[in-house]
Amino acid sequence: MDLVLGMKDTHPQEVLKKREIEFKLRHLFSSWGFEEVETPTLEYYATLQKVIGDELKERLFQFINREGKLVCLRPDFTTSIARKYSSDLIIENKTIRVFYDGKIFRYPSSPLRTESELTQMGLENIGDNSPAVDAEVIALAIIALQEAGIRDFSVDIGHVGFFRGILNASGYSSTLQQQLKTIVKTKDFIALKNFLEKNPPTEPMLVSLLLDFPFLRGKKEFLNDINNRFPRNHQFNNALERIRKVCDILSDYGLEQNIWVNLGLIRDFDYYSGMIFEGFSAFSGSPLLAGGRYDELFGIFGQDRPACGFALFIERLVEVFEKSRPDINQTFKSYTIFYPPEHRKSVFILTQKLRKLLRAVIAQEQNDVPFALKLSDGFKEYTWTDLNWDTIYMQIQEVIKNG
Amino acid sequence: MDKLTLCIPTGRLKDEAIILLSKMPSWPLDFNLNSRKLIFEDQSLPWNIILSHPKDSSTYVEFGVADIGIVGKDILQERGNEVYELCDLQIGICQMVVAGPENLTATDLFRKDALRIATKYPNITRRYLQEKGLNADILYLYGSIELAPVIHLTDAIIDLVSTGKTLHDNKLKIIEELFPVSARLVANRISIKTKMESIFSFVQQLKGVIGDE
Repeated sequence: MDLVLGMKDTHPQEVLKKREIEFKLRHLFSSWGFEEVETPTLEYYATLQKVIGDELKERLFQFINREGKLVCLRPDFTTSIARKYSSDLIIENKTIRVFYDGKIFRYPSSPLRTESELTQMGLENIGDNSPAVDAEVIALAIIALQEAGIRDFSVDIGHVGFFRGILNASGYSSTLQQQLKTIVKTKDFIALKNFLEKNPPTEPMLVSLLLDFPFLRGKKEFLNDINNRFPRNHQFNNALERIRKVCDILSDYGLEQNIWVNLGLIRDFDYYSGMIFEGFSAFSGSPLLAGGRYDELFGIFGQDRPACGFALFIERLVEVFEKSRPDINQTFKSYTIFYPPEHRKSVFILTQKLRKLLRAVIAQEQNDVPFALKLSDGFKEYTWTDLNWDTIYMQIQEVIKNG
Repeated sequence: MDKLTLCIPTGRLKDEAIILLSKMPSWPLDFNLNSRKLIFEDQSLPWNIILSHPKDSSTYVEFGVADIGIVGKDILQERGNEVYELCDLQIGICQMVVAGPENLTATDLFRKDALRIATKYPNITRRYLQEKGLNADILYLYGSIELAPVIHLTDAIIDLVSTGKTLHDNKLKIIEELFPVSARLVANRISIKTKMESIFSFVQQLKGVIGDE
């Protein structure tokens, strides 16, 4: 029997690691007052088509359902959550704090890749557009990576306003603006140089600024050096002021160590409208988390609500954890009790008591050990021939205590 | 600053790349890559160096085993690797072209009912045909592409041409130029953040050598 192309089975060892991380993050998000929500695996193409970019559209799993309508496996959660909360009757001015954990589906960029089904866990804060919410969301992203046991990570913070300000100052037609956006997204700076030579922007400083795009990164103080490099318009001013405020709040939280300002940061999803951020580690070639503010997404679904959130890629967290901390061995002992069938009743009571103390107890009937009880922890074996159940229970407790 | 791992392709591009790199101020004197080793990790070197097959260097960089690398634009177009393309090294210069027998015109070629094209670049060829609105069988060959029209295996080829001598010797000519090709400096998308200063200074040095800007 063949595995469906692009899909994979996950072995118990890896599932265990995923669940450990999910358990910690679920606890973290709940303790900050976020409630878990579920959305369906399927969405109408008509819903997604309004908000996702062309590149992602090509990577959707889609098919026709019984109604004859085009449906898709969800490529992310944010769109589904925006759909849900823009059609819900919500009490005005009430903030919604939700988190989710589940699978998303995207065809990989190349048919030779396997990453088609990913576990995403993330949260959304809907209804509040203050910088404090931006900072809280980023803070939770940082704490989530720490809780997951990731060390040596960075979180880059940017703002879509910087690029929008550039587009605004370029004097380009909307066609040229679109072309520029596509080139910057493909990260081809030779094509970018040729484009800028062929289409000189009305604001000449944009040329060197755009060509330096990957290098507009530094600590908070970097924001003081950029004033004369960017065209001064309201998009730029708003973005700069916002990033400053968010960074100040994060400094108050004592989280500046992992934070970088990256003004050249661009996200694949077109729905972001304000602050954006990405978390990564040198141990993974792809981001570990990504998010930002998407105040315009709800508007597309017919109800204006500000919102901000992020998602973590759980499999990548496991990968980075494994690579960066090979010292930590996460295997757990499981105990097996072999017993003769005639003692089934007593052994059942015994194992139920033991399962309260141990992570895993397996009871196995065995005919060839008459009148004896055997306990194995995978390394050592213990045997009892005198079947006094209270004594056995006490002696097993001793065994556990000693190792 | 963090030490970078640099991927240099073997083959034709290697010699040109090394001439260029050795002009950089940080290149150590009397260092050569002419042994049979593929990995150079030495305290005295400013970078770690990996030598790769020319078609593989962008993959090494995409997956982060090298932070930066040198790779032909033809490979980037064919593979579509997710990397930053930082500068044009202006070496390994050639053209990606459609070529066919001397007596064949573009109009004749595109009017053929059962069109067949030989290439080492199936993805570039498929995209080209799609843009032209043409349907053709793509024959993915490993070598001597220019032989295919001569022995009537295919009607035309899509391949790299530098001097045009091979085409001429096989009585073939360029029917259409697709895009210019040269070697590029590419960077891994995470390294460009975690090792930004090192990559920035490498690019500045290299641009100084190329005479760019």
